[in-house]
Amino acid sequence: MEPLLKVENLRIELATRAGVAPVIDDLSFELGHGENISFVGESGCGKSMTALAIMGLLPDRIGRIASGRIIFDGEDLTKASEKRLRDLRGNEISMIFQEPMTSLNPVYTVGEQIAEVLREHEKLGKTAAHNAAIELLDAVRIPNPKGRVNDYPFQMSGGQRQRVMIAIALACKPKILIADEPTTALDVTVQAQIFDLLRDLRKEFGTSIIMITHDMGAVAEMAERMIVMYAGRKAEVGPVQQIIEHARHPYTKGLISCVPHIMADPTFEREELTEIPGIVPGLGEFGQNKCLFAERCNMVVDKCLRKRPPEAVFANGQKAACWRAEEV
Amino acid sequence: MTELLEIENLSVRFPVRKKGAGWGGKTYLTAVDSVNFTVRKGETLAIVGESGSGKTTAALAIARLVTGETTGQVRLEGKDILPLQQEQLKAMRRKVQVIFQDPYSSLNPRQRAEDIVREPLDSLTGKSASEKAAIVDELFAAVGLRPEQKRLFPHQFSGGQRQRIGIARALSTRPEVIICDEPVSALDVAVQAQILNLLRRLQADFGLTYLFISHDLGVVQHMCDSVAVMYMGKIVEHADRIALFSNPQHPYTEALLSAVPSVDAKRREETRRILIPGDPPDPLNLPKGCRFASRCPIAEPRCSESEPPLKQAGNGGMVACHLREAG
Ligand SMILES: Nc1ncnc2c1ncn2[C@@H]1O[C@H](COP(=O)(O)OP(=O)(O)O)[C@@H](O)[C@H]1O
Ligand SMILES: Nc1ncnc2c1ncn2[C@@H]1O[C@H](COP(=O)(O)OP(=O)(O)O)[C@@H](O)[C@H]1O
Ligand code: SF4
Ligand code: SF4
Ligand SMILES: [Mg+2]
Ligand SMILES: [Mg+2]
Repeated sequence: MEPLLKVENLRIELATRAGVAPVIDDLSFELGHGENISFVGESGCGKSMTALAIMGLLPDRIGRIASGRIIFDGEDLTKASEKRLRDLRGNEISMIFQEPMTSLNPVYTVGEQIAEVLREHEKLGKTAAHNAAIELLDAVRIPNPKGRVNDYPFQMSGGQRQRVMIAIALACKPKILIADEPTTALDVTVQAQIFDLLRDLRKEFGTSIIMITHDMGAVAEMAERMIVMYAGRKAEVGPVQQIIEHARHPYTKGLISCVPHIMADPTFEREELTEIPGIVPGLGEFGQNKCLFAERCNMVVDKCLRKRPPEAVFANGQKAACWRAEEV
Repeated sequence: MTELLEIENLSVRFPVRKKGAGWGGKTYLTAVDSVNFTVRKGETLAIVGESGSGKTTAALAIARLVTGETTGQVRLEGKDILPLQQEQLKAMRRKVQVIFQDPYSSLNPRQRAEDIVREPLDSLTGKSASEKAAIVDELFAAVGLRPEQKRLFPHQFSGGQRQRIGIARALSTRPEVIICDEPVSALDVAVQAQILNLLRRLQADFGLTYLFISHDLGVVQHMCDSVAVMYMGKIVEHADRIALFSNPQHPYTEALLSAVPSVDAKRREETRRILIPGDPPDPLNLPKGCRFASRCPIAEPRCSESEPPLKQAGNGGMVACHLREAG
């Protein structure tokens, strides 16, 4: 079967004061029907920009798709009109953001905000939309949905607001749900509830999910495949458990080992954490013909500074853009 | 080992306006409620719990930086610091310093890095200019900043470097205790590792005692020697690191640990996710019995009758639960 979403050689340029830079630089990936993939990487690597490109929501005036294709259900979204994209958003592709307080409108009740989406996209009447909103609040497990439907965002806890965001994103039964760091601001017990909810929705509606996160544990719990982004480029892609056991890109390996992962049986001794020195380069450094991770890599060789590494493809489905991927 | 810090019946309450009580209606929100614990010299005690459980308020009370009404005792080297004033308060502040979560808002944007680091020396000590300059130089090296960065302003640093400035500032008076309130929560994982390693190295080098607040249980497991778990202003469990993580006693601790996503396939398989439904109770309208009763998977009728006290637990620590006392 054709994948639901196919991104091919996507290049997105941002025009900043310092010049034009490829914030997404030759990115290709696929998302299957009902599949859950995760984008990981430190902040500033282009994860959100990838999501915004799929949504047709690149920053006004400064952002543009320079080349490549985004094929959704057979249709190239890079050629779609603004009207068509608006239609797709909310109907076929929805997104939930990190901070639910800033994405909900403070002056409308949560019920009005869900109903609004239903009326616009599903053409429901006023009462039908209101009732459907209550059902959705129930589906995302807001207790007492009949009462809470009239609450304003500030009357809800962070976890409840995020569930409302999910209800809005799901109002039109999208084929793809993009969740950009959906639980970063939430407590772990609430995060666990949100993850459960996302898993159930996927089971029930067959929704494909793209989850953006910096938490490898969350990736391991939620996704089948992961894409590791670095400085606008895909560093590594492959099945999650496989990558966790044997990453093929030094950056991926560093990302996994620099985190103090919780252990079932903690030992008395504690090793120093592996450090990845330095930080992610700024946008101005993107796009150079070299490995952009070279300054932080403990395996760097001359070649890495002279030429962008091609993708090494492994028999097990892993791919890593590193000159020395075989040795990692 | 000796107890450096002894916290006894520490409570902090904030006056808040009461809904529906009309004009002038006032009530109190008790953010920290009769908390007891001790910290040994050189160890790291972690405080964990969900947001709003009172971690920051407790920590700030111990640093004498809280605005709410504080009662109980906070003994540093045997002496209660809550009544201290003026010179004695200054002396205490030299010994207890804080590192904050947000390396962006906790540094004055108009001050140069060296001035920020030197500020506690200016306000709390009578050292000469040359003594202070020498200390600042030493601190820049200790936290991994370059000497030429002394003249820069906060916005010219990355998030991780700003946190290094915050750490250098906290170290300047050679404190006994450093309170770290979510010191790496705003940082990316790679930078987080750099800062956590730095904090552990400094602890060994300077013999520091840490009160380490975090909501990341992986980070806590790596950093601490013992853990206090807070829920709605109360400590519900307090145990050594290994006991708490491998044999948690309080149902809330169990739920918290089971909710942590893990890269370890074995741990994922072995962990039975304990879902705690709903939200914590309204802090202005706390239930009569156990504060966790409305979400506790094993609650019994008696749990809503009386509040469980913190008692000896089966894992060698302390637990506040009617069903989980030792013996
Ligand atoms: N509106 C914008 N104007 C200028 N630069 C931007 C804008 N949005 C993002 N960037 C830059 O693009 C890069 C990628 O950003 P983003 O996609 O948000 O990363 P991530 O989501 O992985 O943290 C970063 O260097 C960021 O600073
Ligand atoms: N200055 C204040 N005035 C009123 N209430 C406060 C103040 N500071 C904290 N609180 C309340 O005290 C409780 C505990 O807050 P806090 O100590 O910040 O928790 P944590 O650090 O665990 O997230 C919360 O209910 C919070 O709203
Ligand atoms: S290409 Fe070179 S610098 Fe880049 S990750 Fe591989 S070894 Fe490191
Ligand atoms: S006292 Fe009762 S309600 Fe509270 S944690 Fe123990 S079993 Fe649960
Ligand atoms: Mg982002
Ligand atoms: Mg706090």
